[in-house]
Amino acid sequence: MPISPSTADRAAPSRRTADAILTVGNIDMRFETPDGTLVAVDDVSFTVAPGEFLSVIGPSGCGKSTLFNVIGGLLGGYQGRVTVAGETITGPHASIGMVFQEESTFPWRTVTDNVAFPLELIGMPKQKRIERARHFIRLVGLDGFENRYPGELSGGMRQRVSLARTLASEPKILLMDEPFAALDEQTRLLLGDKVLQIQQDLKQTTLLITHNITEAVQMSDRILVMTYRPGKVKRIVDIDLPRPRTSEIVGSEAFGRYVAQIWADLREEASRGMQDDESRALHPGGARP
Amino acid sequence: MAETVRVKPAAHSALRLSPVTLLRVAIVLTLLACWELLAASGWLYRDVVPSLLAIGGAVYELLSHGEYYFNLGVTAGEIGVALLIGGTGGLLVGLALGANRFLSKAFESYLYYLGPTPKIIFFPIMIMWFGVGPGSKVAMGTISCFFPIVLSVAAGMRQIDKVLIRVGKSFRAGTWQMVMKIYLPAMRHPIINGVRLGLGVALIGTLLAETKLSNKGIGFLIIQAYSLFDMPRMYAMLIVLFVLSIGANALVGRLGGLDSIKRF
Repeated sequence: MPISPSTADRAAPSRRTADAILTVGNIDMRFETPDGTLVAVDDVSFTVAPGEFLSVIGPSGCGKSTLFNVIGGLLGGYQGRVTVAGETITGPHASIGMVFQEESTFPWRTVTDNVAFPLELIGMPKQKRIERARHFIRLVGLDGFENRYPGELSGGMRQRVSLARTLASEPKILLMDEPFAALDEQTRLLLGDKVLQIQQDLKQTTLLITHNITEAVQMSDRILVMTYRPGKVKRIVDIDLPRPRTSEIVGSEAFGRYVAQIWADLREEASRGMQDDESRALHPGGARP
Repeated sequence: MAETVRVKPAAHSALRLSPVTLLRVAIVLTLLACWELLAASGWLYRDVVPSLLAIGGAVYELLSHGEYYFNLGVTAGEIGVALLIGGTGGLLVGLALGANRFLSKAFESYLYYLGPTPKIIFFPIMIMWFGVGPGSKVAMGTISCFFPIVLSVAAGMRQIDKVLIRVGKSFRAGTWQMVMKIYLPAMRHPIINGVRLGLGVALIGTLLAETKLSNKGIGFLIIQAYSLFDMPRMYAMLIVLFVLSIGANALVGRLGGLDSIKRF
């Protein structure tokens, strides 16, 4: 299979627009701070096709998490429009399932009861929701831990519980905000394999927010690179690597080329972010976000 | 996968006598011996320090009469009702304060100042409002336990991990579902801690009120024994009360233990 990194200009309409399941249209998010207006997200538009794995990558402070919360319906007060299957989002939407970066399992619930939580909310009978929960627990490879409490599990296992919980709500779009950020590198890679395998099996449309280049290249069909403050779309990169992929692909030459390309884009932004942080540390009275 | 399951440390063997346990037993035995020597010495008025035998007899006497159980029931009922009223009030007000920054800024400092105020100073008012009977004792217990509960609930609500609330919202939980399935279970530790503190001060408030002015209850019996100078009976009641308090505290502590509230 010929592998050549290709990029699409952000102004060019995506070929997937027509049958997109998620469209993010001209999102603009500003925060008023004591030192003036901070533009967190500036005119960001993109679409996600059914079954696609899209990653949004950018340096810290580029408004990734703001974007995550806007798409998830947890944050209002923005300009622009997010639609899911043609429906404009006004709050948390049943078609979007979020996995958070932070530790988010309920420590007072067993693994099964954690995973069954969204089913409990919609009033599914107990027997049925436990069955369904077990299915998703098996899917993330936690069988045998059904009756354990999160406190008895490792960080990686807890994050898999969160993932199973979100999958149990059977969202059309899986929205993840750096779900592996708090994990060590090896666990992260192995968990990435798991997510990728599940995503392929379920043909799950997935939008991953991350700052990790390896992770993004390993998993994505397309990667959207964001600029540092204000957060704009810098470039959208198609990742033309064969599937199924596992973490073994990390060593391949084509993989390295993609990583280098994205790093070149990101490096500029990240160093701008770093300079910004340094100047803020030197002049605390200056423009603070 | 490169992941491990955390294993709980093996339960400590309760039967082994550690040096600490031996010392504790020795302290108790020494105290009892000193007490008995003091009782036998005749240095103090007769019966101010009755012999252990007399106290033991009084304990037996106490526990074999229905009168004691009746009064114990009265006191327990007063504390129970006080805890119910003060606890429910404290929970609701605490939730409101924890949820609303404006309310908490406006009212919470008053609660902090009133909290440590000895509630017994309100007793005369309570007698005027609710009479000499159990009503005023319930009122004393209620105002005693309200404060620690309201303050720990308000603080507990603010300490809830924000991401858990976002999880609930992302799954589109309704207000009632948020309260029952996220807020309350997430606050189980501060709530139970508040109830524990509340139980302690309700016990103090109620008994103190009973010893001041009353016609029923354990506090009444104690002060009655004192005024009749029936020292063995008074000590017997103090001992039984002491044991009961420890028991009640241990019970709430057990409820507060992780094992039983995981499922909440």
